[in-house]
Amino acid sequence: MRDNLSSIRHLPLLGIAALCSVLIGCGQQTSTVTRSDKPVSGGTLIYATDREPTCLDPHVSGDMPQVFIGQQYLDSLVSMDAQGQIGPWLATRWEVSADGLDYTFHLRDDVHFTDGTPFNAAAVKANLDHMANPKTQSSTAGGYIRQYRSTDVIDEHTAVVHLATPYAAFLEVLAQGFLGIESPTALLRSRDENCESPVGSGPFKIVRWDRQSQVELVRNADYNWAPPTAKHQGPAWLERIVWKFIQEPSVRFASLQAGEVDVIESLPPESHEAARRNPDLTLLVALRPGNPTNGTLNITRAPFDDLKVREAFVRSADVVGALKSVYFNEFPRAGGPLSSATRFYSPDFEHAQEYAPARAAQLLDEAGWTGRDADGYRTRDGKRLQVHVVMGNRTPPSEVTLWEQVQATTRQAGFQLIVELMSDVQATKRQADWDYDVRLGYWNTNTADVLRIIFGSEFIRPAGVGGYHQNTAGFNDASFDALIQQALATQDPEQRRALYYNAQQIASNQYLQLTTYPQSSRLGIYKTTQGVRLEPSLAVTYLYDAWVNK
Amino acid sequence: MSQIKAVNPQHERWAQLGRRAVWRLAGGVLVLWAVATLTFFALRLIPGDPVLAILGGQSANPTPETIAEATREYGLDKPLAVQYGLYLGRLVQGDLGVSYSQHLPVTKVLAEQSWATLQLTFTSLLLAWLLVLLLTVLTAGRRRWVSNLASLAETLSAALPHFWIGILLLAVFAFGLRWFPPAGSDGWRTLVLPSLALAIPLAGFIAQVTRESLEFTLEQPFVLTARTRGLSETAVRFKHALRHAVLPGISLSGWAIGALISGAVVIEVIFSRKGLGRQLYQAVQAQDLPLTIGISLAVAAVYVLANIVVDLLYLWVDPRQQGKTA
Repeated sequence: MRDNLSSIRHLPLLGIAALCSVLIGCGQQTSTVTRSDKPVSGGTLIYATDREPTCLDPHVSGDMPQVFIGQQYLDSLVSMDAQGQIGPWLATRWEVSADGLDYTFHLRDDVHFTDGTPFNAAAVKANLDHMANPKTQSSTAGGYIRQYRSTDVIDEHTAVVHLATPYAAFLEVLAQGFLGIESPTALLRSRDENCESPVGSGPFKIVRWDRQSQVELVRNADYNWAPPTAKHQGPAWLERIVWKFIQEPSVRFASLQAGEVDVIESLPPESHEAARRNPDLTLLVALRPGNPTNGTLNITRAPFDDLKVREAFVRSADVVGALKSVYFNEFPRAGGPLSSATRFYSPDFEHAQEYAPARAAQLLDEAGWTGRDADGYRTRDGKRLQVHVVMGNRTPPSEVTLWEQVQATTRQAGFQLIVELMSDVQATKRQADWDYDVRLGYWNTNTADVLRIIFGSEFIRPAGVGGYHQNTAGFNDASFDALIQQALATQDPEQRRALYYNAQQIASNQYLQLTTYPQSSRLGIYKTTQGVRLEPSLAVTYLYDAWVNK
Repeated sequence: MSQIKAVNPQHERWAQLGRRAVWRLAGGVLVLWAVATLTFFALRLIPGDPVLAILGGQSANPTPETIAEATREYGLDKPLAVQYGLYLGRLVQGDLGVSYSQHLPVTKVLAEQSWATLQLTFTSLLLAWLLVLLLTVLTAGRRRWVSNLASLAETLSAALPHFWIGILLLAVFAFGLRWFPPAGSDGWRTLVLPSLALAIPLAGFIAQVTRESLEFTLEQPFVLTARTRGLSETAVRFKHALRHAVLPGISLSGWAIGALISGAVVIEVIFSRKGLGRQLYQAVQAQDLPLTIGISLAVAAVYVLANIVVDLLYLWVDPRQQGKTA
C-alpha cells in the first residue's frame, strides 16, 4: 500500500503531557497487576487507533486502517512467518506450473465463514474476481494482482489460478490482509453494504460499526483454523474487541496511561520514552516491509537528471541529525531502497546515503555547478541550483520539519530547497505533470517486488485518464526491468535473492531516493493485556493470541 | 362594517407575522441554495482530478480500469455545468447523493452524526446561558470591584480559543482528576468537557452584552418602582430586570448556534467525539463533494431555523416588538 505521507494534521496538543504533570502530576500511580503468562479466556479488549477506515472491506480502496481491522476478522490463503517464508493457512498446499502462470491451491475442507457459507474453491474464485473487478475500486489488492486472469474451480477444494505473466510475488501478496478471503455470499451484496458489514472466517466477526466512534467485534466461537504462525489453536481468547478511533496522539496516549484503553496504535514517537519508563506500559514496535519513507527524486528533468547532482543532494542531507531532532531518535535511518523487514533485503546499501558534505561539494563541482550567487547558492550558466519539494497539505507536520532540516543541511552544499505545500489533489496534479523535483512517499508491502512498482518502466505511464504514475523517479532502465522480471519468473529463493540484490544495487547506485526512515507499527500496551502481536506480512496488529486480565 | 373588519388589528398582526415568516423561509431557501452552489464550485474548482481523491488520493495503486469505473460511477466524465444541474435537480428531490469517502448515502451520514452535534451544541448553549445568568444577575451593579472582576472574567473567557480550553479541561479533569473520560461519545459524562469548552467563550460573549444591558435596566424608573414596592433585590433582578436585559443576548444566541457548530469541528476532533463537525473536517480533506455539501446544507439549515426561532422568541419575551414587524 502506497502513501504520499498524507495523514491527518494534528492540533498542537503535544504539550498536554507536560501541562498535565505540571498541574497535578497525573498518571503517576504505580500499582502493579500480577502478570500471568497463562492466557485467560473471555473479557473485552479496548483498542484505540488514529484513523478510521472508510470501508471495512480491505479489498475496496485499501488503506492501512482497513488491513488492521481486516486482520482480526479475515483469514488469508497463505501465511507469512517472521523470516518472510510462505506457509499454509486456508490453502494447505499449492503447486506452481513451470511457466509460473498457473497456481493450483489445495484448500482446507473444514472452514466456514461466520455467516455459515463454506469456504471452498468457489470462494477463492469469488474473492480474486472481486479484487480484480474495477467496480470494487480496489487500489491495493487489485493493484497487486494485475497479472490475475481467472480461476478455475477444479473440485470443491481445489482451485487453479491463472496469471497473465509469471509473478513469483503472488504468494507473498496473498499473505497480506489486504487480500484476505471474504464470504462469497456477503460479496454478492452491493459494495457499500459489504463495506459496512463484511464477513470473513477469522477469529473475530464484526458486529457493529458506529461511525466516528468505534467498531465492535466478537469472538468467532467456531474458529479452528489458525495459521501455523499463531501461538495457539481454537477460538480466540478475547470475547470482544472494541476498536475505537481517537485521532489525537496525546489523547490516545493519555487514555492508555489512564487504563481507559488497553492497546493503542500509532504511539507518537515523543511518547516512546514516557511509555518505556511507565511500569504499567509495554511498547511493541515492528518495522514494516517495503520501500521506506523517502523523498523520490524526479530524474526526468534538471537538476536531478544528472546522477552526480542526485548523489550530491543525498550526501549533503544530514538525515541522521534530522531524525534525532524531529523524532527523538526513535526512528532508525533507512539507507537503502528496501526496509530491513523486507524479504531479500540486503544491508549492503545501508551506507550509500551517508552524510558526506565534502563529497557532495566535489560532485557538484564535477557536475558544473561551480558558481555561487549572492545568497550562497550554487549556480551553473547563471541558473540557481533549485529543488522543488511538492507536498500535499496532509503531510504530517513532523515530516515537514524533517524536510526543513534537510533544507538547512543541503543549503550548505549550495542547494536551494523549496518546500511547496498545497492541497493533496493539487499535489497529485503536479505529480501527474512531472512538475516536481522531490515527492515524499513510502510503500508498505511484503515483497521486494515493490522495486518494480516504484522503479519499473511500466509504471512511468499514468494509471489511466488523469491518473498519475507510480514510478515517481521516472527511472527507465531496461537492465533493471529485466532483473525484476526474472525475479518474478523464478520460485527459487536463492535466485530471487541474487536478482533482488542486483536490483537493490542499481536503485541504490542511481540515487533515485533520499530514504529517511522505515515505516513502523508502534503499539502501546497496558498492563492488563498480554499476547498482542504484530504479524509479519505488514506488521499489522493481531489480537487472536491476546488476552486481558482485568 | 366590512371595512372595520378588514383592519382588525389582531388579524392584521397575524397577517404581518405570516408574511414575515414566509419571507424568512424564502430567504432561508435562498441561503441554502447559495451554500450548495458555493460549496459545489469551491470544491470542484480546486485543480486536480476528484477521482484521485475518491480512490484515496496517493494512497494506492489503482488500475486504469478502476479509475475509469470511478469516473463513470460518480458522473465526473460530464461537463461541470451538467454535473451542477444534475446535482441541483437531485437536491430538490431531497437526494443528497452518496459520500465518496464513507461509501454511504449522505442522508444516512447526516442521520448518524447530527444528533451528537446537536446534543453538543444545545448543551453548550444551555450551559452558556446558565453561566451568563449566574454571573450577570449575581454581579451586575454590585460593588464596583465585584462587577469589574466579573467583567474581566467575561472578557477573558470570550477571548479564549476553543482548542485551548479543550486541552486545559482534558488535562485537568480527564487526565489529572479522571472525573470525565477524555474521549468518546457515549453517555452524559463524555458530553461535559466538550460542552464546557464550547460554552465558556460563548458565555463570555453573551455575558458582556447582558451585563451592560442589565446594568442599564437596573437604573430604569420601573426598577425603582419595583424596589419601592418592597421586592427583594433578587426578585427585582430575576422577575423584572432580567426580561429586559436578556434581549440582546437572545438575538446573539441565533448567531451563537453557527459559532458553536464551527467550534464543534475543533472540539469533536480534540475529544474524539462523533458528530458533523469532525465529519466535515474529514470530508473537506478527502474532497468528498457530496458529503461536504450535505453537511454544509444541514448546518446552514440549522442556522436558518435557529434564527427564525430566535425571532419568535424575541417576540415572546418582548411583546412590544410585535408591532414593529418586517
